[in-house]
Amino acid sequence: MSTYLAKRLVYMVIILFAASLLIFCLYALTPGDFISGNIKLTPERKAELREIYGLNKPVLERYAVWMKNAFHGDLGFSLSQQKPVLTLFNQYIWNSFLLAVVSTFFTWLIAVIIGVIAAYKQYSWFDTLVMVAIFAAMSLPSFFIGLFLIKILAVDWKWLPPGGMLTTGSNATGLAYVKEVVHHMTLPVIVMTLLGVGSLTRYFRSNMIDVIKQDYIRTARAKGMKERKVLFTHALRNALLPAITLVGFELPALFGGSLIIEQIFNWPGIGQLYMQSFSLRDYPLLMGFTMLIAVLTVIGTLISDILYRVADPRVRL
Amino acid sequence: MKKTVALFSTIVLASSLLLSACSKGNDSNSSSGPAASASGSASAGTDPAGQSGLTETIQASNLSKLPATAKNRNDTIIVGLTDPSGAFIPYFTQSGYDGNVNSLLFTTLVTVDDKGVPAPGLAESWEVSSDNLTYTYHLHKDLKFSDGSPLTADDVAFTWTILHDKAYDGDSQISTLNIKGGKAYKEGKAASIEGIKVIDPQTISATLEKPNATALVMLGAEVLSKAYYGKDYKFGQLDYIKKLGTAPVGNGPYKLEKFIPGQEVRFVANENFFKGAPKTPHFIYKTSQGDTWQFLETGEMDFASFSATQENIDKLKGLGFVNILPYTPSTYGYLQVNLEHEALKDKRVRQALTYGLDRQSIYVDANQGAGAVANIPSSPISWSYTEEGINPYKFDTEKAKQLLDEAGWKEGSGGIREKDGKKLSIHYLGSKSKNTDIFIAIAKENYKELGVEFQPEVFADFNALVSKVEGGDYDLVSFSTPLLTDPSDGLLQFVDGEIKGYDNPKFKELYDKGLATSDIEERKKIYQEIYQLLNDELPVIFTSYKKTVYAYNGRIQDLSVSPFNGIAPSLPNWSLK
Repeated sequence: MSTYLAKRLVYMVIILFAASLLIFCLYALTPGDFISGNIKLTPERKAELREIYGLNKPVLERYAVWMKNAFHGDLGFSLSQQKPVLTLFNQYIWNSFLLAVVSTFFTWLIAVIIGVIAAYKQYSWFDTLVMVAIFAAMSLPSFFIGLFLIKILAVDWKWLPPGGMLTTGSNATGLAYVKEVVHHMTLPVIVMTLLGVGSLTRYFRSNMIDVIKQDYIRTARAKGMKERKVLFTHALRNALLPAITLVGFELPALFGGSLIIEQIFNWPGIGQLYMQSFSLRDYPLLMGFTMLIAVLTVIGTLISDILYRVADPRVRL
Repeated sequence: MKKTVALFSTIVLASSLLLSACSKGNDSNSSSGPAASASGSASAGTDPAGQSGLTETIQASNLSKLPATAKNRNDTIIVGLTDPSGAFIPYFTQSGYDGNVNSLLFTTLVTVDDKGVPAPGLAESWEVSSDNLTYTYHLHKDLKFSDGSPLTADDVAFTWTILHDKAYDGDSQISTLNIKGGKAYKEGKAASIEGIKVIDPQTISATLEKPNATALVMLGAEVLSKAYYGKDYKFGQLDYIKKLGTAPVGNGPYKLEKFIPGQEVRFVANENFFKGAPKTPHFIYKTSQGDTWQFLETGEMDFASFSATQENIDKLKGLGFVNILPYTPSTYGYLQVNLEHEALKDKRVRQALTYGLDRQSIYVDANQGAGAVANIPSSPISWSYTEEGINPYKFDTEKAKQLLDEAGWKEGSGGIREKDGKKLSIHYLGSKSKNTDIFIAIAKENYKELGVEFQPEVFADFNALVSKVEGGDYDLVSFSTPLLTDPSDGLLQFVDGEIKGYDNPKFKELYDKGLATSDIEERKKIYQEIYQLLNDELPVIFTSYKKTVYAYNGRIQDLSVSPFNGIAPSLPNWSLK
C-alpha cells in the first residue's frame, strides 16, 4: 500500500507538471492577449503595456516565471480584476461550492432511492414513469429549464427570488442570513439536481438490477430476511461500489462552478469569473483556476482508488 | 416555450447592451450638473409607431402595478451593472464596470453637457492661453474628499504626475497629451513635471508642447487624494496603489459602503460632496450578468437598459410601472476595410461596397428600429454632428455596379467580377451575434447582386477576431467604437496607425487643425470638412448607430442619462416619489 502510494504521488507530480506546461502554452498561444481586446488603446500604448506585463517575452520564459511564483504560493495578480488570484478564489469559489455540494447531495440521495426502487420494480408502471421523466429532465437544456422556472416561480408566482444570493441591500446576519441564502439557492439547486439526477439514476438502476440477480441476494431472501434489509444493506452496498469511480470526478466539479447555472441565476460563483477571464485573456486567473481544477482532479482519482480499497477488501493496491 | 426563448434572446441582447453602455473608460468624465432633465411628458399614445421607435420618454401608465419589493424601498435605488470587480480607483481600473462605480465615488474637474460641450465640475472656471498651450483650472473653495480632508491643487498635480509614471498600466491617455517635461519624468530624468504648476491651493495649470483641444476635458478628470494615494509613492512603483482599490477615498456624490464580490456594490451618500449630499441616501449597483428582465419585473432593480427593439418597448410598456427613456450612446459602428489589399485601395470600390449594401435593412429594419444608419465618424448626439454635404450612400445597386465597372472590375466567369485575372472577393469577419447573422444574410445577397464574392467568417471570441485583424487576413470586419466624448476621439483611429494604409495628408492637417483650437464654432467647421472628406473617401464603411432604451421605476424623479457620462451626472438628484 505505501509503495503504491509513493508511486502514485510521483506520478501525480509529473502529471501536474506536464499539465501545467500544456495549459500554459495553450492559453499563451490562443490568438489575442489581454491587451488586444481593449479597443481604446493606441498601437503605441499597447506595445508599452505588453512590455509592462511581460507579454512580449517568449512563452517558455513566461512559464518559468509563473512556475517559480507558483512554487512560492503566489498565483499572480489578476490583470482584469486587479486583485491577487488567491483572494479572488476565496471570494468566489465557496459560493460555487455551496451550490454544488447541496445539489450533489440531493442528486445522489434522490438517484439512489429512485434507482433502487426502479430496479426492484423493474418494468412496473413506476419504473416506466420514472424513466420517461428522467429522460425528459436529461434532455432539457439547462438555460431553458432555468429561465422557465424563474418565469413561473419567481416572476409570476413570486414564491422564490429570481436570482442572486442575497436580497439586494439586505443586512441580515446570523440565522436570518442563512435563511436568506437558502431561499435564494432553492431554484438553482432544483435545476442542478433535476439535470444531474437522470444519468445517475440510470446508473444505480442498472447496477442494482445486476446485483439483485446475484446468488447471495437469493440466499439472503431464503434466510427469511426482511426485503427492505436485503435491498438496502446487502444489495445497495454492492451496487454502490462502481459509483466510487464517480466520487473522484465529483471533487473538481464541486469547486469548478457551473457557468450556465451561475449566469442564469446571477449566482456569484467562480464559473462566471472563469468564463470572463477567458474572453479577456486574463492569464494569471485562467492559469490559476485551471491548475486548481487539475490538482483536484488528480487528487480526486487518488481518493477514489483508496476508497475502493476501503470499501472492497477484494481490491489489492 | 416560444416566450421563454424570446426572453433568453432579449437577455443576451440586453447583456451585450449593458456591456457597450458601460464600456466607458476611466478617462471619461462623471459630471455633476445635468443640463436637461429627460423626464418629459410624452405619453404612450404619442409614440410614433414607425420604425424609428421612441423619441421621447414614455411615462409609466399604471404605477399601482409596481411590485411590493420596489414599493417598500424608500431610501435606496438599485441599478444593475454587469460585473464590477472591486478595484475602484480611477485611471487604474481595468474594467469599464469599475469605471461606472468610480464615476459615483469620484467627480471631475470639468465635465461635459449633453452635447459634449465642457462644463464646470470641481473646477468652477478655467482659462486656455491664447497660444492654446496652457490650461489653468480654478477649483471651488473648500473642496473636501469623502474622509473630510481638503482637496487642493496639490492633489490635482499629484494625479497628473503619477499618470506619467513608467509603471502606470491603466488606459488614461493623459501622458499622450505631451505636457512639458512629461517625457523626461517618464524616463526618470526629472523629479517632477516641468509643465505642471500649482499656482495657489485653488489654482493649477498645465502647459503642453503642442495644442490639443481634448486636453481641457482630459486633464479635467478625476482627482486622487495625494495624502491617501500618494503616501507610499515612489517613482516606478505603483503596485501599492492597487491595494487601495477596495477602500477608495473619493470626492463624488456617494461613498463606498460595502463591496460584495459578484453581488452588490453598496453606496452611501457623501455628505462632503461639493454640491451637497445626494437626495437618496443609499444607492446599490447590483451585479447582474445580463438577466435584467426578471429583476426589473420583480422590482429588485429600479433601472435597466434594453435594445430599443419594438418587441422590448412593447413588453416594457406592458409592465406599466416603468418609465421608458430612449437613448443613443455616443458611438458609431463601422466596417474596417483592409486598405492594404489592392482592390480595396481604390476609393470607387469602397464606395461601391457601400452603395451596394442595404444598410437600412440590416441595421434598422431587421433590428426592429433599434439602430440608425451612420455615414460619418460621429454620433448624432455630438455637437459636431452634421448631415450637410454628407452623401447618405442610399442603397443603389446600379450605382455600385457602375462604380465597379469604372474601377475596371468586369464580370467574369460565374458572375464574379474580375480584374487582371483576379476575382473580386470579400473576406468578412464578425463577432458571433444575432446582428452579425443578419448582416451576413443580407450582405451575401447584396454583394452577389454586384458580382462580388462574399466569404463570411464568424468569431465567438473577440480577442481571436482582433488578432486575426492584426494579422491582416481580412477584407472587411465589423467594429464599434468605445464611448466617444470629443469629436476627435472618433477620428483617432485614422491617425494613430490603428487603421493601416490610410495616409491622407489633408486629413492629418485637418485633424491637427481641429485640435489646435478650443473655440467650438471654429471646430464645428473643421469637423464638418473632415466628415465630408471621410464620407467621400470611406477609409472605413460607416454602418450604424445603436439605439437603446432605459426602463426605470416610475417612482424615480428627475432622472436623466448623459450620452457621455451615463447616470452619474443626474444621480445626485434622483429621488423616490
